[in-house]
Amino acid sequence: MQTHTYDVVIVGAGGAGMRAALESSKRARTAVLTKLYPTRSHTGAAQGGMCAALANVEEDNWEWHTFDTIKGGDYLVDQDAAEVMCKEAIDAVLDLEKMGLPFNRTPEGRIDQRRFGGHTRNHGEAAVRRACYAADRTGHMILQTLYQNCIKQNVEFYNEFYVLDLLLTETDEGPVTAGVVSYELATGEIHVFRAKSVIFATGGFGKVWKTTSNAHTLTGDGMGVCYRRGIPLEDMEFYQFHPTGLAGLGVLLTEGARGEGGILRNASGERFMERYAPTIKDLAPRDMVSRSMVLEVREGRGAGPNKDYVYLDLTHLPKEQIEAKLPDITEFARTYLGVDPVTELVPVFPTAHYAMGGIPTDIETRVLRDNEHVIPGLFAAGECACVSVHGANRLGTNSLLDINVFGRRAGIAAAEHAQQVGHVDLPEDAPGHTIALVEKLRSSTGGERVAALKREMQETMDLNAQVYRTEATLKQALGDVQELKRRYQSVAIQDKGVRYNTDLMEAIELGFLLDLAELVVVGALERKESRGGHAREDYPNRDDVNFMRHTMAYRHVGEDGQEAIQLDYKPVTVTRYQPMERKY
Amino acid sequence: MTAMAEAPVAAPVAADVTFRIHRYQPEFDSEPHWEEYTVPLYPTDRVLTALEKIKGEIDGSLTFRRSCGHGICGSDAMRINGRNRLACKTLVKDLDISKPITVEPIKGLPLEKDLVVDMDPFFDAYRSVMPFLITDGHEPTRERLQSAEDRARFDDGTKCILCACCTTSCPVYWTDDQYFGPAAIVAANRFIFDSRDSGAEQRLEILNEKEGVWRCRTTFNCTDACPRGIEVTKAIQEVKRALIFRRF
Amino acid sequence: MSTTAQPGPVNIPAPRSSQRSSQRSNFELYSWLFMRVSGLVLVFLVLGHLLIMNVLDGGVQRINFAFVAGRWSSPFWQVWDLLMLWLAMLHGTNGMRTIINDYAERDQTRFWLKMILYVAAGFTIILGTLVIFTFDPNIG
Repeated sequence: MQTHTYDVVIVGAGGAGMRAALESSKRARTAVLTKLYPTRSHTGAAQGGMCAALANVEEDNWEWHTFDTIKGGDYLVDQDAAEVMCKEAIDAVLDLEKMGLPFNRTPEGRIDQRRFGGHTRNHGEAAVRRACYAADRTGHMILQTLYQNCIKQNVEFYNEFYVLDLLLTETDEGPVTAGVVSYELATGEIHVFRAKSVIFATGGFGKVWKTTSNAHTLTGDGMGVCYRRGIPLEDMEFYQFHPTGLAGLGVLLTEGARGEGGILRNASGERFMERYAPTIKDLAPRDMVSRSMVLEVREGRGAGPNKDYVYLDLTHLPKEQIEAKLPDITEFARTYLGVDPVTELVPVFPTAHYAMGGIPTDIETRVLRDNEHVIPGLFAAGECACVSVHGANRLGTNSLLDINVFGRRAGIAAAEHAQQVGHVDLPEDAPGHTIALVEKLRSSTGGERVAALKREMQETMDLNAQVYRTEATLKQALGDVQELKRRYQSVAIQDKGVRYNTDLMEAIELGFLLDLAELVVVGALERKESRGGHAREDYPNRDDVNFMRHTMAYRHVGEDGQEAIQLDYKPVTVTRYQPMERKY
Repeated sequence: MTAMAEAPVAAPVAADVTFRIHRYQPEFDSEPHWEEYTVPLYPTDRVLTALEKIKGEIDGSLTFRRSCGHGICGSDAMRINGRNRLACKTLVKDLDISKPITVEPIKGLPLEKDLVVDMDPFFDAYRSVMPFLITDGHEPTRERLQSAEDRARFDDGTKCILCACCTTSCPVYWTDDQYFGPAAIVAANRFIFDSRDSGAEQRLEILNEKEGVWRCRTTFNCTDACPRGIEVTKAIQEVKRALIFRRF
Repeated sequence: MSTTAQPGPVNIPAPRSSQRSSQRSNFELYSWLFMRVSGLVLVFLVLGHLLIMNVLDGGVQRINFAFVAGRWSSPFWQVWDLLMLWLAMLHGTNGMRTIINDYAERDQTRFWLKMILYVAAGFTIILGTLVIFTFDPNIG
């Protein structure tokens, strides 16, 4: 075992983690721990763009952007946070450009902008061109640019270091951050990192579902680590299903395709979004489009041999436009479905995409341990955090914005915190918990296999906790997940080596996934309304009287050692926009 | 979602496909060996699906890197039937399944385990060409202006996902690990030809070294290997040309 | 926790800096350029040589000591043949050097192969040059 000491430790090297590292490493001694090589992070898979009211191509301002974000989030957005994000969006984009990001350009040489779902002019009048983009590779460019600037600044990375525990030291004022414990994949060694500040930027947990746009490695580790240490997770029932995943595969096709003029059609070729969102049609927010697609399929208007998907139609767009602005998704359709979007309709269906919920933070990215108190020295940013700027449904492009705005804030806040305080003592037996976790799996002789449990979890979640949910399906999912958690106790791994033991790593990841799956289902069961990404068939309407509040889920361990989820609630911050009916 | 659960009307047939996989467990094996596994696969399945199946159902100790699963993150570069490709971008229908499909780690980087190699030398080469925007003068308040043509000039290089398919397909790199390799040169090229950048001189100086672009033999292996369709050899030639015209 | 918990220097090497020794010279550039230029010139020289010797001057069977003596009495042919000798030898040697660099895996092997190559090339160039300039038509 080795011990390292830093001022700031950042967990995760995706967009948020590296944006934080760029700020923090200028001010304090910083290490970035990542379970992958930085450029493998899933920020790179984001495609369409990053919204900011630059007004480069048409009139726009950040207040309209704020309104869209709040309305898009079905009024569950904390409005002070949305204001911060949309206001700082402009500088976030300009900063990236100055770091070298190759945005597409207007004829005048400015950053070009395009339309995106839910982003409108003057509070919903019409779609506005707000998304700054680099073809359909915006996330890839952001990830590469941030990594390049980390090289420029000589940021210290620990690649393939998998963080498995958060160290909190109890003081009179409550828990204080002491560091993290990490497992080095290459050697199997345990490393303790002492730090004054820790930033979690570990991304989402899409692998809870089978059909997902998420990477194999998006297993919610950061959220799971925090949750197991007693930190609540906020709004876990709100998970976004992106409308246009390649049917059956889940590979993402950007909303930018519709921003460029693409149209969704059912089996008979009807542009069905006209019925659901008469004003902005195909550019309605993702939750509405996904629900509409599922309804079309259920009512028998789906396409294909099983009538189980709809079409994305780009055939009316000029070939040059498709190839210049949507090259990657064109290639995905060709490679994985053998369909050429230039001449053919592309089969699409919703795919699990983004966690609106996560580790609760305030607008300074400080992690909350309940509704009011922060944990000194602990920060979170990006998809793993819940500020909450996305509320019940994130608007397209706002995730790339989130990671840049709040990643930057986290980096600054963490470094400033580290400058003001000293290291606290490590809790007793700091690595003990992690060593026990690893050893238990390594020495297990049970008969359960990781892949089988994971597949069963994903199948029940796809079937019972997807776009539409009911009491019955959720109860089914809960029962299934709890049974899987029981079986997980006797999961065994086959790789008995210590070096690059990915078998072990996947077993640990599955543990986090099961925890998070249960949290999603429990939160969803208790939220008896439909709002944004959470659609209950048995409660089809939004209920602002009873549910205009964030869910806070705590891990509760009873006297008998049995753990259970305890739900509490947190009020939504409302500044200037009162909830109203959501129409597009 | 009843429609989703219906049985497929014309279900594609899964065929048994045999994979011949390079195995090396550093703690148990004295040297690498081959092992064969047979799994049922659909023609539209990816090689990555097969590896996942083998790991999940047959032998959990099979080790490989993967993340996004659709050719964006660059984790799963490997040699499939002797060619460098991404396992998640290689479909079964594009391979000859009458013979076993061989899967090996990429060449030229130190082997760690099974299909995993040490990527550090690769990233070291990348880091050493200064792959970041270098500017001088005052920073503008708004964005730097750049015409669409100037932006298009270096577009090809920006697609790179650092998977190392090109570098580890280069015969020069196989024997000379000091050579920067195609990926690093592409990264340098991307900035040399960016109209906003003013560090071209320094990067050219680095690539003019003994282990720089002059080691390139234009075998075009790199261009063939690139899963992103980057014209890698052309990018290297552009750097050579820039060096020549800088001198004369 | 034992004494290892004390804050201390990082035990893991920080991200490696490049181990390449930067050698600032244009040697590789010039040698690359030389290959292209000498190749072009050689095409002209060698094809010209073959054409003149085998066709225009009446065929290879005419070549004997007197023929060679006659040609090398003219500075034009001396320069032509000297150029051909030098360019071909340097071009070939540089090509061989490249191949050795590409295929020799050990530094030792690489060094000695190149030494042999340079000695052989040097010998041939010096001998050839001497012959061209010191050729005495009266020997025979």
